[in-house]
Amino acid sequence: MEGKIIVVTSGKGGVGKTTATASIGAALALEGNRVAVIDMDIGLRNLDIVLGLENRIVFNIVDVVNKRCNLSQALIRDRRIENLFLVPASQSDNKDVLTTLGVQRLAKQLKSEFNYVIMDSPAGIEKGFENSVVAADEAIVVCTPDVSSIKDADRVIGLLYARSITPRLIVNRIIPEMVVRGDMLSHEDVMDILSIDLLGLVPMDDQVVISTNTGVPLVMQNQSLAGQAFRRIAKRINGETDLPIQVPTMKTGIWSKITQKLGLTK
Amino acid sequence: MWLKNNKMNKHNEMELSIVQNEAVAPSIPSVKLKGVGDGFLVTINPAIPEEEIYKELSDLFGRLKHLTVNAKVVIDIGNIEGYDALVNNIKLLLKSKFDVGSITRLNQKSSSNSVSGFDGQHNIENNIRANNNKGWINERSDALILTGRVRSGQKIDTKGHLVIAGNVNPGAELTAGGNIIVLGSLLAPVYAGYPDDDEAFVMALDFRPPNIQIGGVVSMEINSELSGKIVYATVKDNKIITEDYIKTQPFGKIPWPTIM
Repeated sequence: MEGKIIVVTSGKGGVGKTTATASIGAALALEGNRVAVIDMDIGLRNLDIVLGLENRIVFNIVDVVNKRCNLSQALIRDRRIENLFLVPASQSDNKDVLTTLGVQRLAKQLKSEFNYVIMDSPAGIEKGFENSVVAADEAIVVCTPDVSSIKDADRVIGLLYARSITPRLIVNRIIPEMVVRGDMLSHEDVMDILSIDLLGLVPMDDQVVISTNTGVPLVMQNQSLAGQAFRRIAKRINGETDLPIQVPTMKTGIWSKITQKLGLTK
Repeated sequence: MWLKNNKMNKHNEMELSIVQNEAVAPSIPSVKLKGVGDGFLVTINPAIPEEEIYKELSDLFGRLKHLTVNAKVVIDIGNIEGYDALVNNIKLLLKSKFDVGSITRLNQKSSSNSVSGFDGQHNIENNIRANNNKGWINERSDALILTGRVRSGQKIDTKGHLVIAGNVNPGAELTAGGNIIVLGSLLAPVYAGYPDDDEAFVMALDFRPPNIQIGGVVSMEINSELSGKIVYATVKDNKIITEDYIKTQPFGKIPWPTIM
């Protein structure tokens, strides 16, 4: 098997890299692929919590790279989604413990066992970022529609191009009401500055917080708009490139109009 | 036989000398005409009698009648002062007879010329340069011309001018020893005329930088009224002034192509 290594990165922290990694990984596994999600945020691991697998960690990526255990010992299999595996980060080390050579060796092994290997890059553009992108075949840049996030994403895009990786973009946390009011940049504004291929648009969704806290992957919640968006993104990654990009819109149903008139909702 | 030959030779020599004598006069022509750009450069030997000059001029211009209407004529009588009356008469003659456009006098020696005379010389020199393709081929302009998007964190430093055919994103940095021209959106701080050339300018099709520096002058707040217009920024009175490029046409005042 010759899988693909996809790095999820953003430059800025808190834009939804970990949520995107977990959701895309879970969605790709639901599509029938063998998927490994790797937490590269050494020292600040979160991906295990988002996937609800924090109680099952014995070995982590640092142990694998430093040959204290086999890859199979560190891989945690998700019980709800078949073919979804996690390699957790170490919480006690720092990012300098991994070397690019070690990561490349691990990546080669992962590629031979999985269809998709999704690496959750830490924020920043230092050693942790270097380690995450060193073996990547593809990159996904996550940004939110705000100026600081776009500026950092732009920096990361430049760094990825310098490594001959062509990134694709996910614009996360779009609030259609604010875009309509002109208080938030639209995805067109974001694309104007970043000018890379768009992989998907994800609306702001309260379910994300619930999902993170309960450890139930977002894509398993059918009513979640963000979950649906990530499932479409996973389909596009999986080869359905002609799947149209769905732009998040305001609720215009009759019930929401009535509640708006009554002042029950904004 | 020998005598006969000798006589013949003598006769030939005489004839030659006559021919030579005749040829001496046209070898220093009293009036010489040369086409330069959209006008003529007329070289006149002022030592020759005026009547002869007028006759020659009429002859020459008469042959080029179809080209002389509205043509720019520059008269060169060498580095000799005076002869204003002669030049004026020539002006009258050419204007009345051949409808030429403008007539100016070329005077290479003195720099204390009248303004129109100086302009005439300046124009003709530039004209010669602009129309002489060989001259342009050998000219070099010190500019770095790049295309593509300049992203956040990317730095471009150059000693000469900088032209970017593309957008400059927030977080990028441009520094040039000369002018900076952005054929796209400029959203990043730029430094033109580094380190102290206040004559430099910054120009962009979409001018929205957070601040710019030209030479030793820093501008913190950019006039937002000009958004959506092509903006041209220069230093005036130790302040950075931004102007609507299409409205002010700053380069319209330069009459001929000139190297930046």
